[in-house]
Amino acid sequence: MLRARKLVLAHFWVAFAGFLLAIVLGEWQMYVRSPLHAWVNNPEHYYRSVTAHGTVMAYVLPTLVAMGFGYAITELSLKQPLIGVRWAWAGFGLVVGGTVVAAGTIASGHASVLYTFYPPMLASAFYYIGVVLVVVGSWIWVALMSVNLRAWRKAHPGATVPLAMFGNVTGAYLWAWTSVGAAVEVLVLILPAALGFKDTIDAGLSRVLFSWTLHAIVYFWLMPAYIAFYTIVPRAIGGRLYSDTMGRVAFVLFLVFSMPIGLHHVFADPQVGAGFKFVHAAMTAMVSVPTLLTVFTITASVEIAGRLRGGVGVIGWIKALPWDNPMMLALTFSFVMLGFGGAGGLINMSYQLNESIHNTQWVTGHFHLIFGGAIVIMYFMIAYELWPQLVQCAPLPQGLVKTQLWLWFVGMLVLSMPWHLVGLLGMPRRMAYYDYSDAALQPQAWTVIASTFGGLLLVVSAFLFVYVLARARRAGDAAARPFTFSMTAHPGERTPALLNTFGLWVAMMIGLTVVNYGYPIAQLAMLKDTAVPAIRIGGP
Amino acid sequence: MAEGRPYAWSNAWFRWSVVSLVVLTVACFLVGFVVLPSAQRDFTAAGLWAAICRAAGLPANWGVAPPAEDRAHSTAVVLSAAMGARGANDAVGRGATIAVQQCSMCHGAQGATDANAPNLAGQYPEVVIKQLLDYKHGARGGAFMQTLARNLSDQNIDDIARYYDSLPKARTAPARYDQTSAPALVRVGAPLRNIAPCIGCHGGTDHKFGAPWLEGMPKEYLVVQLKDFRTGDRHNDSHAQMRNMTRQMTDAEIERVADFYARREKSEQ
Repeated sequence: MLRARKLVLAHFWVAFAGFLLAIVLGEWQMYVRSPLHAWVNNPEHYYRSVTAHGTVMAYVLPTLVAMGFGYAITELSLKQPLIGVRWAWAGFGLVVGGTVVAAGTIASGHASVLYTFYPPMLASAFYYIGVVLVVVGSWIWVALMSVNLRAWRKAHPGATVPLAMFGNVTGAYLWAWTSVGAAVEVLVLILPAALGFKDTIDAGLSRVLFSWTLHAIVYFWLMPAYIAFYTIVPRAIGGRLYSDTMGRVAFVLFLVFSMPIGLHHVFADPQVGAGFKFVHAAMTAMVSVPTLLTVFTITASVEIAGRLRGGVGVIGWIKALPWDNPMMLALTFSFVMLGFGGAGGLINMSYQLNESIHNTQWVTGHFHLIFGGAIVIMYFMIAYELWPQLVQCAPLPQGLVKTQLWLWFVGMLVLSMPWHLVGLLGMPRRMAYYDYSDAALQPQAWTVIASTFGGLLLVVSAFLFVYVLARARRAGDAAARPFTFSMTAHPGERTPALLNTFGLWVAMMIGLTVVNYGYPIAQLAMLKDTAVPAIRIGGP
Repeated sequence: MAEGRPYAWSNAWFRWSVVSLVVLTVACFLVGFVVLPSAQRDFTAAGLWAAICRAAGLPANWGVAPPAEDRAHSTAVVLSAAMGARGANDAVGRGATIAVQQCSMCHGAQGATDANAPNLAGQYPEVVIKQLLDYKHGARGGAFMQTLARNLSDQNIDDIARYYDSLPKARTAPARYDQTSAPALVRVGAPLRNIAPCIGCHGGTDHKFGAPWLEGMPKEYLVVQLKDFRTGDRHNDSHAQMRNMTRQMTDAEIERVADFYARREKSEQ
């Protein structure tokens, strides 16, 4: 029984409305810099659009989905009403208010600095204040997740926290610590300059602090998808979760290792020592462990579904899988994209290999494939799964849902594979236009056209997604079956006590961050004469 | 049901988790700070401790200022937002007095002239301040201007900037820079040669603080400055931005860009 329906729906609708707007901007960007369009006369418009696209897709969409899904998980898995509903609405208000302030500033042309800020470029202070409001709103969610779990533990002493809630709270704690880096950057370095108190900014330190947030934020985006892998997918395709413990191990490994590895984003920056870059590269490799554990566990769970449906032999269970089930389709697409994206990620994190693709379209291809592909396709499934609970509607039309998923998958591959290719050839990212008349670039022109059409498929898919959700009509309480999470293959399985708590893992996360980031940050903060003149975008 | 006391050394999960993380971290640091540097001669030249310091990113010359000759190649002026503020009437008045006596011979009584000296009417105050300070301290060459600037106090310089800021601009910008009105280099630059569009900084799509107003500048002046940037004879652009832009520009392109900014609108002819 979901009581906080309006709350969750509000989060999802704002998230998806922003998503629609941002995806149209993304497609416009692809179109104007493709050979199908003359060079955009005002490149600032392009960067304005990129800033809006990135800000909404990277901050607003995943934050709201994680928050809304988190509130739903709290009620559905703990089977208790959400504590602090008013606070939750306040947090939602902050996120929406912050989004409006930031979006307005971007639209006015005073914040074309891209969502990663890039000091010494400096936007209007309102942009950063808007982003800070979004983050503060999400911190309320973090606190509420903790409070709700605590209350549940009190009422159920010694009981094992349901896996969905365990993953949810992991994501919340991860986000709380992850967001500290960018928060410090904005509050201590950027805002004093943006508000006019200073004319210089320490760009090197800013970038290191942002890298603290920039990589772990990906795992915050990813958490709802992983929760869905473990706790929804096996049930939806008629299987059992192979191992509940493995899910917990994967979640806590993300907590420990996703944080102190962000320096691989600044491999090309001279202000960080090579030793620390190596340590961060090596530990980035560690985050592939929970992902590989997850791929193994979920594939095993899918095999259980195949065998329960009568599949036999080494391959036979694959044929027996419910291939007409949207969740089966989404999971397959997600894993394929996770596979390509993950392989690309291993190249990005390698200290030497990174040199060949640094700041090229390869990187754009990589994070679109991983986030826009593997993760967002699971956001769709989360919405589809929860919708009957949220609007008390009949099951959604499976044909339309499958069409939408196919369009998204094909569109994302057609969009991002050419980017990978031209990235290897050296095409830089963040360019408003390319000179296709030059003999060196002319052979690559077709790839940008291909990506434009891939993007078009994504736009169609996004509108179809929202259409399916919007046309769902209330059909009475009886319409929605009670929501259940996956059953595990070994119901009596004992959970190790440590995997029912967070203390050790949070301590490791903070400790490892201090070890890996403490010296570089302290050194840069203490160095004198490191500030450079700020460059105000959109006029002083 | 969860079992056992979680935070106790006797708990195998706890023990293994802590030990593994510590071993992994120590191993990563050993490889990153000792093993890998040992393969690089420039890391190990001064011994193990120096190699570790270098891997940590410790500057070799911590606290030592860069050689003086490096600084002479650019400017020491840091622009502050206050430089761009509009001046009070008395500052404008003082500035006008000095300007009429010392500047008007070349730059015109109202800051604009048919001589090839740059128009200063309506020029951004931070630009005038920076250039005068650069002349004063030798960061920008020019026998006349260096001599004149040397005798100006910082207050004089500030007042002169306020005065020129208070005058109407030589010419306002076109409403739109498009294919028919502006050369490609001005509008979109040349991406393959790393030349950014002029209007990205000098007004049009954006105006970057410290970049001068160019509309209506004399062509001869612009050509000389662009060529001086190209050779490095002029080097007071703080981030070497103009030296980098001009390095790849041909003589013909310099002519075309200067022609554009110096053009006369029909109404002016």
